[in-house]
Amino acid sequence: MVADTSAAAAGVAARARPEIHVRGAVKSFSGRVVVDVDDLILGGEPIEGLIGPNGAGKTTLMRLIMHSLPFDRGTVSLRPSAGAEVVLSSLAAHQMARHGVVKSNQVIMDFDKLTIWDSLLLAVAEARYEQPQRVLAEGTVFRRHEEEMRHYLDFFDFEDPCRPALSAGEKKLLDIVRCLLLKPSFLLLDEPTAGLPDDLTEKVMDVVRELASQGTSVVIVEHDLTLIWSLCDRVHFMAEGSVVLAGDPASIRENHTVVEKYLGEGHA
Amino acid sequence: MDFVTQSVIIGLTEHAPLVLAAIGFALIYRLTGLINVAYSETLTLGAYFAMWLNTTFGLDFYATLIPTAILSGLLSVATYVLIFRPAKHRGVGGLEMIIISFGLSIFMRHGLQFIFGYPVRFFDVPSPDTIWVLGVGVTSFRLVALVSVALLALLLYLFIQRSSYGLQARALSADEQLAKVSGIRPLVVSVMIWFVAGVAGGLAGAFYGVGSSVAPLLGWRQFLFILLVVLVGGAWGLGGVIAVGVATGILLTAMALTFGQILYAQLALIVAFIVLLKWQGRRLTETAKV
Amino acid sequence: MNIDWLDAFLITGLFEVVMIIGLALLLHLQLGLTRIANFGVVGFWGLGMYAFGVLYVKVDWPFGDPWQFLACAALATLVAGLAGVVVGWLIANLDTDGVLVGTLGFATVIAILATTEDGLTGGARGMGGLRIPFDVGTVKEDEFAWLLVLTAVVAVIFLYAWRVHRSPYGRLLIAVGSSEALARSLGKSTFRTKIGLFAVTSGAMGLLGAMNGAMVRYLDVGNLGVEITLATMVGLVLGGSVRVWGAVVGVVLSVGLFDIVISSYLPLPREWYTQTIPVLRQAAFGLALIIVLLFRPLGILGDMRRDKLMRKIHGR
Repeated sequence: MVADTSAAAAGVAARARPEIHVRGAVKSFSGRVVVDVDDLILGGEPIEGLIGPNGAGKTTLMRLIMHSLPFDRGTVSLRPSAGAEVVLSSLAAHQMARHGVVKSNQVIMDFDKLTIWDSLLLAVAEARYEQPQRVLAEGTVFRRHEEEMRHYLDFFDFEDPCRPALSAGEKKLLDIVRCLLLKPSFLLLDEPTAGLPDDLTEKVMDVVRELASQGTSVVIVEHDLTLIWSLCDRVHFMAEGSVVLAGDPASIRENHTVVEKYLGEGHA
Repeated sequence: MDFVTQSVIIGLTEHAPLVLAAIGFALIYRLTGLINVAYSETLTLGAYFAMWLNTTFGLDFYATLIPTAILSGLLSVATYVLIFRPAKHRGVGGLEMIIISFGLSIFMRHGLQFIFGYPVRFFDVPSPDTIWVLGVGVTSFRLVALVSVALLALLLYLFIQRSSYGLQARALSADEQLAKVSGIRPLVVSVMIWFVAGVAGGLAGAFYGVGSSVAPLLGWRQFLFILLVVLVGGAWGLGGVIAVGVATGILLTAMALTFGQILYAQLALIVAFIVLLKWQGRRLTETAKV
Repeated sequence: MNIDWLDAFLITGLFEVVMIIGLALLLHLQLGLTRIANFGVVGFWGLGMYAFGVLYVKVDWPFGDPWQFLACAALATLVAGLAGVVVGWLIANLDTDGVLVGTLGFATVIAILATTEDGLTGGARGMGGLRIPFDVGTVKEDEFAWLLVLTAVVAVIFLYAWRVHRSPYGRLLIAVGSSEALARSLGKSTFRTKIGLFAVTSGAMGLLGAMNGAMVRYLDVGNLGVEITLATMVGLVLGGSVRVWGAVVGVVLSVGLFDIVISSYLPLPREWYTQTIPVLRQAAFGLALIIVLLFRPLGILGDMRRDKLMRKIHGR
């Protein structure tokens, strides 16, 4: 017990998996408050879901966490499974991935000039190989990471990695694979299955389950509730900018407020 | 003589055309988002055309201003209709748009050289009277220029902020689709903007020309300052552009008086403004889309 | 070495073409890959040239050429590279408008400093005392040999740019040019990438300026106008800004046409060369930028072929 207290005092605590702690986060657009989260801990369980009606502020909250939007006020910090707490909200956007916090995009985002190989190699390449003087490093980077890249290419059945991603589904999948290659310790997925065919959705979820079982915390924003109920260990329900409820899927599913505000009568 | 009075009076009278030019440039920039490098050639053309009317037909300087304004406005509209509008319809990106306007600027500048010849030219005007304002001597031309510019600036400001065309233009810049639905005809409004901007630029050029000389680089020499004034002042709207333009004129004069060298004043101003932009930009770019 | 078949104008013209190819290759890395529109190429080139001139003429070196040249050129490269770091830092988080102001402002600052600091640079009078750092025979032979040295340097720049396309670094540059936000979300510091890019490319632009200084022997602030930037940009855009060969093809077709074909091979009246041809050249360059970007924005060679490249180096 004594050892525990001293570790906690130093801000270091042994945790099963990394957590993100959002405190006093407020964001408004032209006077309208979109996100107002007082105190929220994400990542206590392997896979957590974030649900709520359209306009509840789910995507905005995600973007605030990832720094792609500035807060009006509030802090976000990461408590890694080992080591000291990191205040994410004072980091530059590119430093998030270096701390293992990675998010897939809700809207389709891709580098329009780059092929699939390029995207994968970009995700895996270490900064020291991306210096102006390292113009001969391509072979090294490729060999170091060939196995993991080929693993995902085969697993998701990419036809030809030498060309750019063409369809919307392929781009969406590539976005997720880029995230996976970053070896996240905390993975946020913003509507990962929108635009993906069912068989690929299954495969993505298999990977997510595996990742979570190895210690990564996963948070999923989804409209496909069947997926949320079957996948998540804990669900946060968001409405009007705040997280109003959290609990295991079964309890959320039967909660009166959720049914009334979101699921509609007759759903439960 | 009081340093401040001197800076203010000389600064205002000498750099009044900068404010006018900046307003014209800001119109196009704020309402269409385009950085039009070729705008500098509107100034040059205004100066050349007014000088040509003045020296060839013996027209009084002030009488040249009306045809100069109209021609500059038309030229500005022509660049929009012939180049920038088709470019926009072809989906040319923002970066390429700037390079196109850069190419157009170079093309027009050397076209003007071809027409008007290479030597520096001068207006044929009687040597101006010196008028004493608060103990500072100012030529009558510059004083008239200041008054005209102030008047024009006020008119333009009212045009944008109060008139129905100004309202339509602002609606168009905010949301083109919505503006179309509300019955605004984008082509008419855009042509209007480009015309008014051209008028402002051409007149600014004429005032610059009569104040010193007319040369092919007349507009280009001012371009960087126009750009700095509009980008720095633009953060506070059209009023900000005017305020920063006036401040720039006064600062340039004050520093030129201090350093005894206009180039040092320009140097200091360029560096200061770019650092200021950097500081403003730090807050703007955080809203990236991921 | 018998070089009677070469006239002096042709050597000057070729020197200009090869030098602009070098600058266009460097601009290709900035504009073509990373999509940073550097309107201040002449500033970095001019800074290198003047830094070299001042060091070469005003400093009392304990050793003679070629060591004196090498020391001065190395320092000039360093100075231009440091300027690249500063400008890169200024513009790294600005949009295209800010980049235009920053780079154009930098070029203007260099032109102003070259004029005002006349104790060092000779100001508007110009600055003499520079020379090609070796003596192989007549002036013409020296210049020809110097052209060969420049060609070797530009060949190295070409090879570097060619390698960049085939390296993780080039991939990062393309990613930053394509979507900065997405690159950042993958843990890439776009800020540091841009500063590094500007340091290297600006330094190399400075080296080309220094070599030009040795060739022209007399530095004139009139050369710090927009002409070098324009020629570089026209060459690159015409050939194809996203292709390595674009810089070569475009500069040969634009600068080569005017500075070699028209100046050396067309039977035009003599007085045309002093005024008419230079003005026509600039007007044609301006027009070329407009036409290419309107009708074939990726230039003669078109889009980059990452698919072919990836198939070649990684395959399935």
